Amino acid sequence: MLRRDLIKGMLALGAGSQIPFVSAGQKSTNMVNSGLVKETKNQFNKALAHEPGLIAFENVKQNFSRNELKVEGRVPRDLAGLFYRNGPAKHERGDLRYRHLFEGDGMIQKFEIKQGRVFHTGRFVETPKYVEEEQAGAFLYEGPETKFDAPKGVGNPDTINVANINLLPVGSDLWALWEAGSASYIEPDSLEYKGWVNLGKNSQYGDSLKGLPFSAHPKVEPNGDIWNFGLGPAGRVLVYHLSPQGKMKKVKMLDLGYNGNMLHDFLITQNHVLIILPSLTTTRTQGEHSKGLFSSTQFAPDTPMRVVVIRKSDFSVVKQYELSPGFVFHFGNAWEDTSGVIRFDASLYPNVEVLHDLSHMTVGDLNKGHTNSKMALFELHPNGKTKQQVFDIYSEFPKVMAAKQGLKTEKVYHLSSAENKLFNDTVCSFEYDSGKEDRFVFGEEYLVEEHLPVQTKRRNYLVGTALHIPTKRSCVNVFDANNISSGPVARAWLPYHIPFGFHGCFVQS
Amino acid sequence: MKNNILSVSILTSSLFLSFAHVHAATLMFEIEGIKNDAGKIYISLFKGKDNYKKGIAEAAQIVSPKKGSKQVVFQELAAGDYAIKFFHDENNDRKLGTNVFGSPIEGYGFSNNAKPNFGPASFEDMAFSVNDGDEKVKNASTVIYK
Repeated sequence: MLRRDLIKGMLALGAGSQIPFVSAGQKSTNMVNSGLVKETKNQFNKALAHEPGLIAFENVKQNFSRNELKVEGRVPRDLAGLFYRNGPAKHERGDLRYRHLFEGDGMIQKFEIKQGRVFHTGRFVETPKYVEEEQAGAFLYEGPETKFDAPKGVGNPDTINVANINLLPVGSDLWALWEAGSASYIEPDSLEYKGWVNLGKNSQYGDSLKGLPFSAHPKVEPNGDIWNFGLGPAGRVLVYHLSPQGKMKKVKMLDLGYNGNMLHDFLITQNHVLIILPSLTTTRTQGEHSKGLFSSTQFAPDTPMRVVVIRKSDFSVVKQYELSPGFVFHFGNAWEDTSGVIRFDASLYPNVEVLHDLSHMTVGDLNKGHTNSKMALFELHPNGKTKQQVFDIYSEFPKVMAAKQGLKTEKVYHLSSAENKLFNDTVCSFEYDSGKEDRFVFGEEYLVEEHLPVQTKRRNYLVGTALHIPTKRSCVNVFDANNISSGPVARAWLPYHIPFGFHGCFVQS
Repeated sequence: MKNNILSVSILTSSLFLSFAHVHAATLMFEIEGIKNDAGKIYISLFKGKDNYKKGIAEAAQIVSPKKGSKQVVFQELAAGDYAIKFFHDENNDRKLGTNVFGSPIEGYGFSNNAKPNFGPASFEDMAFSVNDGDEKVKNASTVIYK
């Protein structure tokens, strides 16, 4: 059945007629020339002189060798394992600097936590692109946003895959995740890149899933099964169901006619997959790669957000809902009750300015940046009605305990900002029913990154990184997840700072 | 008389063929970077952009691959602009395997070693000329595997 669906999809896309490539696109006409990209680098470095927080987005030149961190307080002995994070780090080569934060080659940070001690290692994800450009000492390929003169051609999305968004432990493997192409195998100890993940390997799909987009926010059910999606050309969305060991169980392609060009996260409940399409549109036509992907992504104020509810058991679309126009990068969790009501939370933006602010910031302009995503709760009722409640709480990077993914949850952990600024300075929990918060404000001197909830046999913790701007050092913070406001129970300091990252995972020993 | 006409006709044809042969070129196309001996390699030669766009091949060959490199020879090519595209059909299903979004999962390539860019290489990038008087023309390409 599924195989037939895929074949039908292939025919619809012309693969059967021997049109063998991703999309019949245009060749770049280099709308933005190298001169402007060189100016980007100068502009950033000038801004860095008076905006010290920009060090988080400085170019990283080399890997970080293993280093023991200085621990303040006491790391609980029951908290042991490997804390991995991923994010863009190679923002510049030669005279050129990328124009958007999402473009830099990924670097993985590994923190080994054992017996109260913490060690750090950082290594670039040595994708074929990274290796080729490292050898050339120059960017050879245009990024999704940055265009320059005489780039090399892009054969398929993995040609420019920078594997820079997230990490997923799969069996004994570690996958580095991007969203427009393949996941990457990473050797968990050395952090060495070992090749693209062939999603259909050892399954009925064989090689037919090679190179398909595999997004950066897979959801892992309490039984270990992995769910994910991938956004393809022309608004088509692939939904994936994999075993805990990464073997593909089922794939389906849905033609959702989505015109937004960007889809970052999704949700699962016990019985359903929720694909939530934000109110986005694009000013570029299908295959028009000469325009920047992000700068051409625009808010569509008259387009509702659309929730597509897909039944897990047979991948059928069972219902669609329309919500008020909005934009979301990240969702916390979703669950359904016995009456069929689905609830979920999101860090909800009123528009997509944040996407453009991240570009302004990457070229050194922090003034335009501000956080305006708020904690929002949604209800989807079987009769088609919806409810939406937005709280006056800045919220991003929402996470729930892994054991609660897709199930009723009491609280969500997230970052926040005491003031309306682009980056976060606060770690927070939010109770869905009561709206009660528990928060710790790091203060203006810190740029705080995603904190992950970790449940050990004894208790619940939050583990995450932050940059202390005045001393140019990064730290790993451990909170008691039930008492965040009393501050970190332990903080491990690096003697240097690491680049701003996006997401990560914690693999307990 | 009829036989005479036939004889003249044959003579004219053979003279013409002989003339054409003298001025036609042989193309030696080297396919490099072949990763294994599995399946077949399908090679299509196109003369002119219009024929390429319409998918009308001047000549085509199916050869057994050899790990490393393989030379394919096209003979008696008249003057003109040509382009080649090929693919390595490792699983022997007589087509270039692609994923659901049409991106190749088997090896492929173009003359001049032209590279794809969000789609197939352009005719201009893969075109090479055969000129009057050319006897041998060489071209090469490395297989692009996913």
